[in-house]
Amino acid sequence: MQTKRLAALVATAATASLLLAACGGSTSTSSSASQPIAIGVPVPLSGPYASAGQDIVNGAKLAAAKINKAGGVLGRKIEIVPADDQCDPQVGAQAAQKLVSQNVVGIAGGYCSGASLPESTVFHSQGDLPFVMDASTNPQLTEQGFNDIFRTIGRDDEQGPFAANFIANYLHAKKVVVMDDNTTYAAGLAANTISALKSQYGITADHEVITAGQSDYSSVLTKIGQMHPDVLYYTGYFTEAGLLLKQARAQGLKFTMMGGDATNDPTVLSTAGAAANGFIITTSPLAQFLGTASNYVSQYQAAYNKAPGPYSVYEYDAVSVLASAIKSAGSTNAKKIDAALHQVKDYKGLTGTFSFNKIGDRVPAAYITIIVKNGQFTAYQELNSSGQWVPVP
Amino acid sequence: MQYLINGLTIGSFYALVALGYTMIYGIIRLINFAHGDLFMVGAFMGWTVLGVFSATHAPVAVVLMISLLVAMAVVGLLAVGMDRIAYQPLLRASRLSILITALGVSLALENGALILFGAGFDTYPTNLLPTTTFLLGGATVSWVQVGMFTLSLLLMLLLYLFVQHTAVGTAMRALSFDQDAARLMGVNVEGVIMITFLLGGVLAAASGVMMGLYYTQINFLMGFLMGLRAFTAAVLGGIGNIPGAMVGGLLIGVLQSFAAGYISSQWQDVIVFAVLILVLVVKPTGIFGERVVERM
Amino acid sequence: MTSHLSASRPLLLRWGPLLALVIALGFPLGAPNAYWVDVGIGILTFGMLGLGLNLVVGYAGLLDLGYAAFYAIGAYTTAILSTAAHLSFWETLPFAIAFSAIAGVIVGYPTLRLRSDYLAIVTLGFGEIVRITATNLGFTGGPNGIYGIPPASIFGYQFVTENSQYYLALAFLLVVLFFTRHLARSRLGRAWLSLREDESASEAVGVPSVRVKLWAYVFGAIFGGFAGAFFAARLSAISPDSFTYTQSVNILIVVVLGGMASFPGVLLGAGVVVGLPEILRFISNWRLFVFALGLIALMLLRPQGLWPAASRAHDPFRNLGPPGDDEDGLARTRAPADPNAPALEVEGLRRRFGGVLAVDDVSFRVDRGQIVSIIGPNGAGKTTVFNCITGVTRPDAGKVELGGRSVRGMQPHDIVGAGLARTFQGIRLFKALPAFENVLVGMYTRQRAGILGSLLHTRSERREERESLRRTRAWLSFVGLEEIAGVKASELAYGDQRRLEIARALASEPDVLLLDEPAAGMNPSEKRDLMGLVRRIRGLGVTVVLIDHDMNLVMGVSDRVVVIDRGRKIAEGTPEEIQHNQQVVDAYLGSDGGDVDDEAVNTWPS
Repeated sequence: MQTKRLAALVATAATASLLLAACGGSTSTSSSASQPIAIGVPVPLSGPYASAGQDIVNGAKLAAAKINKAGGVLGRKIEIVPADDQCDPQVGAQAAQKLVSQNVVGIAGGYCSGASLPESTVFHSQGDLPFVMDASTNPQLTEQGFNDIFRTIGRDDEQGPFAANFIANYLHAKKVVVMDDNTTYAAGLAANTISALKSQYGITADHEVITAGQSDYSSVLTKIGQMHPDVLYYTGYFTEAGLLLKQARAQGLKFTMMGGDATNDPTVLSTAGAAANGFIITTSPLAQFLGTASNYVSQYQAAYNKAPGPYSVYEYDAVSVLASAIKSAGSTNAKKIDAALHQVKDYKGLTGTFSFNKIGDRVPAAYITIIVKNGQFTAYQELNSSGQWVPVP
Repeated sequence: MQYLINGLTIGSFYALVALGYTMIYGIIRLINFAHGDLFMVGAFMGWTVLGVFSATHAPVAVVLMISLLVAMAVVGLLAVGMDRIAYQPLLRASRLSILITALGVSLALENGALILFGAGFDTYPTNLLPTTTFLLGGATVSWVQVGMFTLSLLLMLLLYLFVQHTAVGTAMRALSFDQDAARLMGVNVEGVIMITFLLGGVLAAASGVMMGLYYTQINFLMGFLMGLRAFTAAVLGGIGNIPGAMVGGLLIGVLQSFAAGYISSQWQDVIVFAVLILVLVVKPTGIFGERVVERM
Repeated sequence: MTSHLSASRPLLLRWGPLLALVIALGFPLGAPNAYWVDVGIGILTFGMLGLGLNLVVGYAGLLDLGYAAFYAIGAYTTAILSTAAHLSFWETLPFAIAFSAIAGVIVGYPTLRLRSDYLAIVTLGFGEIVRITATNLGFTGGPNGIYGIPPASIFGYQFVTENSQYYLALAFLLVVLFFTRHLARSRLGRAWLSLREDESASEAVGVPSVRVKLWAYVFGAIFGGFAGAFFAARLSAISPDSFTYTQSVNILIVVVLGGMASFPGVLLGAGVVVGLPEILRFISNWRLFVFALGLIALMLLRPQGLWPAASRAHDPFRNLGPPGDDEDGLARTRAPADPNAPALEVEGLRRRFGGVLAVDDVSFRVDRGQIVSIIGPNGAGKTTVFNCITGVTRPDAGKVELGGRSVRGMQPHDIVGAGLARTFQGIRLFKALPAFENVLVGMYTRQRAGILGSLLHTRSERREERESLRRTRAWLSFVGLEEIAGVKASELAYGDQRRLEIARALASEPDVLLLDEPAAGMNPSEKRDLMGLVRRIRGLGVTVVLIDHDMNLVMGVSDRVVVIDRGRKIAEGTPEEIQHNQQVVDAYLGSDGGDVDDEAVNTWPS
């Protein structure tokens, strides 16, 4: 572990210095530093997802600090402007409007797909302001025909087939139950997983839906237990995942439990305690499991005295790629930045090397599985280039 | 059978909170929307005390007892303060304005907890309680469930005895029957109202700590749904009626459990509310409800 | 007509609305940026919702915790029809209104008989059911909701910019304001207020409570749906998250914080509930906490709301011209159903409460134009007889005929319609309403204005209102209260309250008037006036039946006296005969030490 970290550190430092050098180059040509370039970050800052939103803002600030330390973009500093969307579509639309009125040049953020959707229409209607999303994985977002939407994270419909592959080819499961909490994100992932299981592996999965926020799921688990499944894949959020694990094991139910990437949160461990062991999560790699990001993890830890959360590193990349697009556009004109973002090729971010396809989705989308061992998240399996399941190095 | 056990466990938590709704309604005809949040504050208090004591090596049982008692005391006092500051001055005003302050108190408690404890989930230690289980009629029952259920019943029984057999309890009943007459009979109305809030807060806190221990996860918004359920339970049982709240709580728990098991978890709230509406249409005062004079 | 809204601030009242409109029109031009215009749209939307809910909560006094459900139904109707059926926004609007109105009937019909606290949970449950259903079903887009709702457009102009949407919202708000104002000032609006004040009293003066409540629900639902349709077209995306219980609560706060039944109050409330949290955004996490504390403080300082509905009306008759000879018009104009039948006939009336036979085989008849008193010791069953006659209590057996027509088993308000009015033993006025509105409510059964007439404030409705007001003035001057017509009922002196209650009962133009202990608590001079009043009422051709313990009054005005003891009629005759009836004397003196009423003994003429 120690050596791996060191290697990662070196790698990150190298990437960072590259970036640094690049930015430094542009400042020299730019004229006097005028007003900062404002980048909006619409995320939930109140309500149940406030902590996730705060993590994302923190990630954005780290990215901005790094860029500014290297002289900023076009000779101007980057300024992060957070806006609370409360994960609510209506509030989201207002938050977006507020950001527009604060003259943001671009937007990097988003947490709940439900709120990101109306936000994206606002930004689109206000002169195609570029919106780089770090966490909103709903496929619909990039399929609205807008040319100013991008994301540094994979889509739900890519995670679904990935999970199905793992369930069928690695776990060799015959009987599968897929469960969601009826939120935009989770229902989408569940549907994609079920259809992939059916079309590619001939497995007919049962589908259960729960309502989030209800502490007690023992009865729905009792019902699932009577189906005797090999695997229960829960596509909802971490809160319920912890409770489900605890309550399933308390009833003596022994099937394998898996979760989607929204279950990737330490709360699962503290909620379920020993019952969390063996829980497998399909996820975009957490910063902790990204060789390229370990430097970031320690930086974040030092700055905010907590773990960086699942999405902040994607936000870091979102802000960084947006800044680099502004630089290569040589302008803060929204349409020029959009064009520059579409040109991004093999961008070396902390979350890996990626490009944007023509609708703005990240390619390739990175997914791995992680497993809880001895009360810790540990990297588990990933697909190698020839489609085989191999342990994550 | 398993569904019944699941339902009774959660139902006993509902019942404890529902008692607070029903007592306060019985006495001042106020739907105390902040009551669910007292439950939340109780859970956080218990969590805080557990956190403090986890460093010491005191026996688990003692630590649990202390955290339960501290939470009950703090929340009981908080409930009294809430009554004094936000409700008492409005007792003679329109019933709706006091309802709005109740909503305001609820919002203040939720957001106060958000500021103090953060937005994320805090978790009770998972290793305090034994995880041993036994089989009963094909269902797995944990000793913790048995303990929680017994403790809830015990608290409810104590409350019932208190209301039926003490002077204060008699005064409470007199008050719920006719406030002005009770005042004329020399009942210290403000005092009795305070004691009612105190008791309601104490029970809510007990429920909060127990729920925290049982489900481990607590959050500043947890009181909202609890409040809604408990309120529903109180109305189902006949609001203002103490045994009604107990039965209503257990009934809602069991109903939810069966709805989730046999129909679908996503429709369980619809089913609960539909049953509630049906019961009210057939018997407009709830299962145990008597006619209560309305004050507007 | 001046409503109770009119405060003693004529200047502010005249120019206030215009000023508010000018500010509202100029707001987007003065707003620092589009974000604040957006907040302005939010305020206007909540204004519409608040005005709609105000009819339900502020006027009819029905606590509704699920109002967002109607908002949701309107929004989803517009969303679905405009995306799936490609209707234009304007074409979806009637459907949105119709569907929410239907929903209003569906929730309202089975539940409106419930007490208001139970109603609260039922509406809350309904709100949750609608939201969860929208989340679970496919055609509502599930948890995603519906996207790509086209904006409203007129002649090809699309309302997409913030400013244009703001003005559209303002126009919508004005439409809602226009109609809700009309309703509030109509016969229906007064009936709502009377229900809020005292449901059984308003039923007893002729208001069909269930139907009137249902209309409150339906109109609340309609305006909620209307606002919902606007919301959908404005945001272009809706999801179930926008229609939570919290949203319902926010709308309720708008109404109560602003001031129930107060139009400027509700609009102000919308401004505070939407605007304040926005202004407080700079304190981020503390925002809602501070808002909550502010809410508590405001309610404590102003329990009636920020801008309460005014409780006094300024000269309500100022637009009527001089009083002239209004009183001539007071004589009844309706012909009795059967001129030969007695005005009121009760035969074999029986009513049991549990094991007690409260009324046991009571029969009596009252001829047209007579004054008949019913006397008896306390607990003898007199009021129960009244309640059986007026439909408040259902008799177990017996006959109740009004002018030859059976009214037994009819609803109280229908019996009022048939020509029977009453007052109560304990005064039951609509306390928060000014005197003249109490009387106007009493005319409910005699007014003909329909729902549409009220909504549109048509010429015929206006004429009827004017005529009603004229008659109100006449009734008030008949009982001697014309001068204080604008004073809130609860602020009147005790004797005035009694007389107002009589005026309210007379306003329904009854054939028979039942007075339940009208002299209770009056001083001797007031009692003398009352006797005169009772005779003058008879002079109008109204038959009077009264219960009282005051023997001077009873013996002084009555043509006949009926004596009831322990549920049975023990004597009937002229005052003279009764005074010398040994059985009556025994009953009153309580030879067996039974139910003696001190007052009755003391006031027995010596």
